[in-house]
Amino acid sequence: MNPEFQRNLWLEASPRRIAWAGVVLLLIYGAAVALTRNNPYGALPALGGVGAVVFVACAMLWGARASGNSILTEIADRTWDFQRLSALQPWAMTWGKLLGGSSLAWMCALTGLLMMIIAGAASRVEGLATTAVFMLALAVLLQAISLGAALIGVRKARAEGRTARASGVLGGLIIGAILLSWVAGSAGFQRGMGTEGFGALFSAGGLVDWGGRLWPAAGFRAVALSLFAAWAVVGAWRLMRLELQMQNAPVVWPAFLIFLAIFAGGFMLRTQGLAAGLAVGSLVVALSAYAAAFAEPADRVRIRQFVQFAAKGDLARAAPLIPAPLAPLLIATLLVLAAFATSTGSLMAPELGQAGALIAFLLRDLGVIALCRMGERPQRGDFSAVVALGLLYGVGGAVGWAVGRETGGAMFAPLGHAPLISLVSGLVQAAAVWALAARRLGLNAPPSAPASVPAT
Amino acid sequence: MTAAPMIDVRGVVYDYPTARALHGVSFTVEAGAVLAMVGPNGAGKTTLLRCMAALDNPTEGEITVAGLDTRNDPRGVHAAIGYLPDFFGLYEELSVRQALTYAARSRGMSPADTPVAVDEAAARVQLTDRLEMRAGELSRGLKQRLAIAQTIVHRPRVLLLDEPAAGLDPEARRSLSDLILRLAGEGMTIVVSSHILAELEDYSTRMLMIRDGAVAGGGVVAAGSGARDGLRVSATFTDPPDDLAERLAAIGVTLERHDGEEVLLLAPDGEDDAALLARLVGAGLKVRAFQPARRTLEDAYLAEVTR
Repeated sequence: MNPEFQRNLWLEASPRRIAWAGVVLLLIYGAAVALTRNNPYGALPALGGVGAVVFVACAMLWGARASGNSILTEIADRTWDFQRLSALQPWAMTWGKLLGGSSLAWMCALTGLLMMIIAGAASRVEGLATTAVFMLALAVLLQAISLGAALIGVRKARAEGRTARASGVLGGLIIGAILLSWVAGSAGFQRGMGTEGFGALFSAGGLVDWGGRLWPAAGFRAVALSLFAAWAVVGAWRLMRLELQMQNAPVVWPAFLIFLAIFAGGFMLRTQGLAAGLAVGSLVVALSAYAAAFAEPADRVRIRQFVQFAAKGDLARAAPLIPAPLAPLLIATLLVLAAFATSTGSLMAPELGQAGALIAFLLRDLGVIALCRMGERPQRGDFSAVVALGLLYGVGGAVGWAVGRETGGAMFAPLGHAPLISLVSGLVQAAAVWALAARRLGLNAPPSAPASVPAT
Repeated sequence: MTAAPMIDVRGVVYDYPTARALHGVSFTVEAGAVLAMVGPNGAGKTTLLRCMAALDNPTEGEITVAGLDTRNDPRGVHAAIGYLPDFFGLYEELSVRQALTYAARSRGMSPADTPVAVDEAAARVQLTDRLEMRAGELSRGLKQRLAIAQTIVHRPRVLLLDEPAAGLDPEARRSLSDLILRLAGEGMTIVVSSHILAELEDYSTRMLMIRDGAVAGGGVVAAGSGARDGLRVSATFTDPPDDLAERLAAIGVTLERHDGEEVLLLAPDGEDDAALLARLVGAGLKVRAFQPARRTLEDAYLAEVTR
């Protein structure tokens, strides 16, 4: 047996804890039976509903928390270095924590799923298997996101010289929830954006418009979530590799971004055409660049090493150090250019200008994030970057609009009304911000200079 | 042909985001040595040990441990070493047996070999009678023993200990010294970091001084009660000549320390103290006092500091 899985079983699923969990579950199901004893259809439908709630509570909430804690408690108990010194392969460590950390939660959750399936089968509910796959995939997705968020939090905390906190996990879960909401709320589901998307996700019915054809919504939802769950597990595994001092070739992250672009763009294909699909894909990938910029450890030593190896042409040593936002920046650029080339047949102004403006502002924003996060006190960098971006888009945009309406506003956001002004303004701002960021990172310092020089 | 060193550190530089912690550190450790890594707090000892344990990658330079490169084969290095950090944690809810079983299995030991290895490691640290106790119920000293047992249960070739005696009472320190001596006797290469010289005295054979992130003095030198590099003699001369060092060198004796009339001499290994005294007198030196001396770690430290 995988030693990490076994250790987690010893800790999480001891006979005593299993016995207590069994008592609690018996009380819950017993209460459901007692409350519905006069129901003409019997207690089974109620047990099915309670089972669904038990599954959601145990697998999705408790399980996700337990997966993240399988890393965070190691940090708090000072056992993480002991784990990092093990000879276990990253994959064994990943699934050992993912399944082992949430083992008791899974045991309880599976009783709920079983109740739900039995009740559904008795009532001849259609698509029961698809729903079960969807729920299992959603649970795995949330748990893997939680584990990945904890690993990201640990890497960030180490680089920033602070203790890893659960807020990293929470932030990761929120990002995952927004992603899910977006998927469910996309045009293909015809349900709008934001929290409405959650409703669409759980009650998917009818057809989904994706990839140029219509698909049964329930099946599409189950397959899509299974794919995202698989990517989340792969992501946790890649992050675990880094924690165990192994190097990642820049392959899986770009592959995920391309998958994401195809998935998002697919909703536009039939009704809006290829250009719209490419544009939506580029937008999603560009958003990933922001997420990657915040998820990356604020480690200017690593960035300096990357620049130095790349300048020397030592690609073998530079490749594992490539900053995570670089791949989405390049892919988003290619997708934007492709979108405009597809829509017009040729890249002519103003479309080219608008495409360039979008990328220029993305470049500027990544520079702002780097500038804020690579300072003397990186602990405050994330918050500073959010405030700085808020000021640039909010206050800057308002001032620009007050001065020159669309033209003024275009100086602070990539607007379609004055694309060339947006392009020039974005490039100037990006150049200024990156010059400051390069100075802060010490990119111009000689290779032998300490990381602390220059410190401002 | 010289055997390859067990640990080879070459030009290691380590940068934290706001400061450089190691400035081109280079040294080697032979197989079977017990190296005392000494230096003040904040000198870079822990950073260096973490790089040697393949827990952190140096900014520049290379480290090989047991012939494995820490950057290219970190998992291989992890399997070959045991590392006890200065602030270690234990799985307090696991029993001693479970903790040792997990340590052995997670370090690549087969399920068949694990029970024997667990019993062996527990016996080495005298925890055999507490195998079924929860780790959280052990005293500070016993927890330290369990932590060491976890680092040696897979029979590593190299053991790295960072301030292992911190917080231990005298009795626990004595038993730690005995354990390290036993492990060294079995051929394990051991590196122990500390800023308290006395606790390293009993078992060290070599010393490396780290100061301000760099190797201070002459690199790895013989030191401690375990050192076997020659005969040390404390002597006092009447009217010592100005060219004392040269005259001693001419008869094959090294002047290690000169403090007024009192000197510390090092004669080659195997030298007889009576023969040495005769050679000193024969060289025209007026010997007033002559006392064979053990070179303490503090002697070695002071000799390196004043070098």
